[in-house]
Amino acid sequence: MTPGLRRQRALAEYTLAAMARRRGKNIGLVAVYAAVVFFVASAMLFSAALRREAAIVLSEAPELVVQNLLMGRHELMPGAAVETLAGIRGVAGAQGRLWGYFYDRVNGANYTLMVPFDPALIPPAGAAIFGEAIPRTRDHPWLGAPLFLSRHPGDLVRFNAAGQLTAAQGLVSSDLILIGEADFRAFFGLPPEVYTDIAVTIRNPREIDTIVQKAEALLPDARFVTRDEILRTYQKIFSWREGILVALAGASILAFAIFAAEKASGLSADEAREIGILKAIGWDMRDVIAMKLWEGGLVSVGAFLAGTVAAYLHVFAFGAALFAPVLKGWSVIYPDFPLAPEIDGIEMTALFFLTVLPYLAATLVPIWRIASADPDQVMR
Amino acid sequence: MISLRSVTKLYNEGRPNELRALSDVSLEIGRDAVTVFKGPSGSGKTTLLSIVGCMARPTSGRVLVDGRMVSGLPETFLTEERRSTFGFVFQRFNLIRGLTVAENVALPAAPLGPDPRALAARIETRLEALDLADKADTPVEHLSGGEMQRAAIARALINDAPVLIADEPTANLDTDLTHRFLDIVADLRAEGRSVILSSHDPRIWQSDLVDRVVGMADGRLAEVAA
Amino acid sequence: MILQTPILALLLAAALSNAVALWTAWFGLRVLRGWDIASGSRAQLRLERRTGLASTLFGFVMLIQIAALLLFVFNADRMATLFVGAMCAVGTLNVNAYGFPALYLKIAVFFAASLWLILDRVDRQGRDYPLTRLKFSGALLIAPLVLTGAGTELAFFLGLKTDVITSCCSKMFTPANDGIAAEMTGTAPATALWFLGLAGVAVAATGTVSLAAARLQWLFALAGGVFFAAALTAIVSVISLYVYDHPNHHCPFCLLQREYGYVGYALYVPLFAGTALAMGAGLLSLFAGTGSLATVLPGALRRLVWASLICHGLFGAVVLSVIATSRLVLFG
Repeated sequence: MTPGLRRQRALAEYTLAAMARRRGKNIGLVAVYAAVVFFVASAMLFSAALRREAAIVLSEAPELVVQNLLMGRHELMPGAAVETLAGIRGVAGAQGRLWGYFYDRVNGANYTLMVPFDPALIPPAGAAIFGEAIPRTRDHPWLGAPLFLSRHPGDLVRFNAAGQLTAAQGLVSSDLILIGEADFRAFFGLPPEVYTDIAVTIRNPREIDTIVQKAEALLPDARFVTRDEILRTYQKIFSWREGILVALAGASILAFAIFAAEKASGLSADEAREIGILKAIGWDMRDVIAMKLWEGGLVSVGAFLAGTVAAYLHVFAFGAALFAPVLKGWSVIYPDFPLAPEIDGIEMTALFFLTVLPYLAATLVPIWRIASADPDQVMR
Repeated sequence: MISLRSVTKLYNEGRPNELRALSDVSLEIGRDAVTVFKGPSGSGKTTLLSIVGCMARPTSGRVLVDGRMVSGLPETFLTEERRSTFGFVFQRFNLIRGLTVAENVALPAAPLGPDPRALAARIETRLEALDLADKADTPVEHLSGGEMQRAAIARALINDAPVLIADEPTANLDTDLTHRFLDIVADLRAEGRSVILSSHDPRIWQSDLVDRVVGMADGRLAEVAA
Repeated sequence: MILQTPILALLLAAALSNAVALWTAWFGLRVLRGWDIASGSRAQLRLERRTGLASTLFGFVMLIQIAALLLFVFNADRMATLFVGAMCAVGTLNVNAYGFPALYLKIAVFFAASLWLILDRVDRQGRDYPLTRLKFSGALLIAPLVLTGAGTELAFFLGLKTDVITSCCSKMFTPANDGIAAEMTGTAPATALWFLGLAGVAVAATGTVSLAAARLQWLFALAGGVFFAAALTAIVSVISLYVYDHPNHHCPFCLLQREYGYVGYALYVPLFAGTALAMGAGLLSLFAGTGSLATVLPGALRRLVWASLICHGLFGAVVLSVIATSRLVLFG
């Protein structure tokens, strides 16, 4: 080891010994600091996980969705349009989709009823497949109990349980009810040969813009929504909410920085005397600064790790119980699903910036002030 | 050889409470000798010690250590000069509470990046020579006054400084311990080190060990006895 | 403005850097007026201790700036999904007119701050701090650079609108355009590689000479500068092709993405560090005649040249391994 490294090691050892002697004070500081990190890290990890969920869900969505508009409102789509769209060059396929909302007066929730494309998911007549939140909010006595929906007072439609959707991709499927086409049309009183909208799959993503232009000419009243647009909207919404939370956390970071600066400059008489002694016995200003930076570094890294690990557990093991209401939305039916754990370098770097920089910035000047004490003051 | 030429030291210069601690002091201190600064409190002994020992810079005048000009050096280099030449024993010892004797003794070596094993060996030798070997792992607050002073001496010598500076070393010691201290000074002198003391204790400046007594009054040299 | 955590982090870093740059500049003025190393006065002692603070703070800002440069590029790359037409950082930076200027200013700050820190380190080893006045004159020049950089970055972030249709790297790095990016792209792969190889030989030769002769480091710095230009051209013109296994994809930013194993960082970090160190050696060689540095400077110069050569070597090794592992065959 070079003398330079050995010097750092000796300074670090002294720092550890000095910190161990003021254990209570240092643990308090790390705890407050870790709490701040925890708050910011939870917000970031959680919304990053939501963004990923959305991206995963949308990766299976069709490239283009075509809706009919009437007086600027969403209208039913005539079945003929499916053929029109399928006929455009570059379109791999077009399928009419059937889905709608149902307001459940029992618990005030909105369900999404849908006819799935996947034949394996189409339940037999009179039966339905539910999202995981529905039996939960309806207090079903046993798994597989039938679901009763009432469209108006006195009305009751029974759906036998034909299965349940897994919670894994729960963000957009927890309030879902999958039923057959005949049941769907009967339930909503829908005439044949109309659809909610049309899903268009396109082989080459570079052709999407051209295809939309052509389709606009053929279906002048329709609205075209591409998957990229939806993805962008999701990303924006979740990023924006995260940003709001982090900006709010800025207040706590600021408060903490002021607290840390106070703590660093308002040294106890004991500590000030100690540094005076160190300078008198031959430590230079730079030695004292290096020693104090070790202290700051140990405190920051300790708090950063503790706060981040706690936030990781909070988000991925306990479903972000503290932040979920703000970041997910305010729906009554609330998806209850484990988020896929992932740690992302850029998020961690940003977190480090936001939490460690203010601490270091707030303590550097007080540290320097202490370190520039006159070496001969302990003699006076 | 340490030379002071027309050294003046002001504290709080330019403020109403300005204090002239030293005025126009010129002095040469040789190697291999025991020198005592003698004078009443407030006469400038301690300030003189801190300037001789490169602890503080003079407001004006020059200081040379072995012919090298140190009075114009930036603080960092002054500290380097001090580390390589001087070891300090303070009046109140200034050991760091909560650390053991060995840890305290190791402190001045830390900025030099010592080899841990060699340093441990040096500490052991030094503590043995001062009869403190059995106290190496004792926290300093559990030491007696004499032990504290010896721990402070061990710390001052850990970087093998050729000059030991002690400020009022016997102010807190009884007669026995004073003799013990003078024995240590004799040993240091025999090792070829110089010792510079400040004291108003007659037991010190009347001792045979002392080669030179420098009198001080009101920040000036009062009389120089051989 | 898109309210995003990395953006907030970058704005925080910029605000701290601004504060330090302003303070250092103000303090630099006081140093230029009142610095007198021979004086034993209290005022001089305080000034001297404050130069210690200035070095610490500036070093701190320098580290922030390096990390911020990486974060800035990484974040621009990540945000590309938010903009129509953007595939990588180029698209994001093209969303408004401030993107690329902000990047260039960040790079300029990186080089300026590196040089300043090298100067600072050597100055503090001279027993009379011989370069202090020069150092703080430099700080006066760096401060506006930092402030402009932060202002441009803020303007860029404020002007980020997701409804803007931006242009992607394939439109910028194409030989069909005018401008420097197109010139670099249009350089024939063989020419670019030859140029890079010659510049590498020049760096190695001038480095060896300056190590052996303990002078002529300015020549090494010059070779380092030429190598930097050659390396950037080669990255755009040919190295990127090898990374993407694609004969027409020239983007120097997509290299930073995960699907290419973040190889861009392995290229850019040693390249920038090596260039900064070479420039630092060139700068220091100007002070070879300064008395109190006579014992310090040769060692410092040797270390800088060595460190720079190692960085250049790393860069060369990454380039060779990229070419060796690529499935693309451009020659033969």
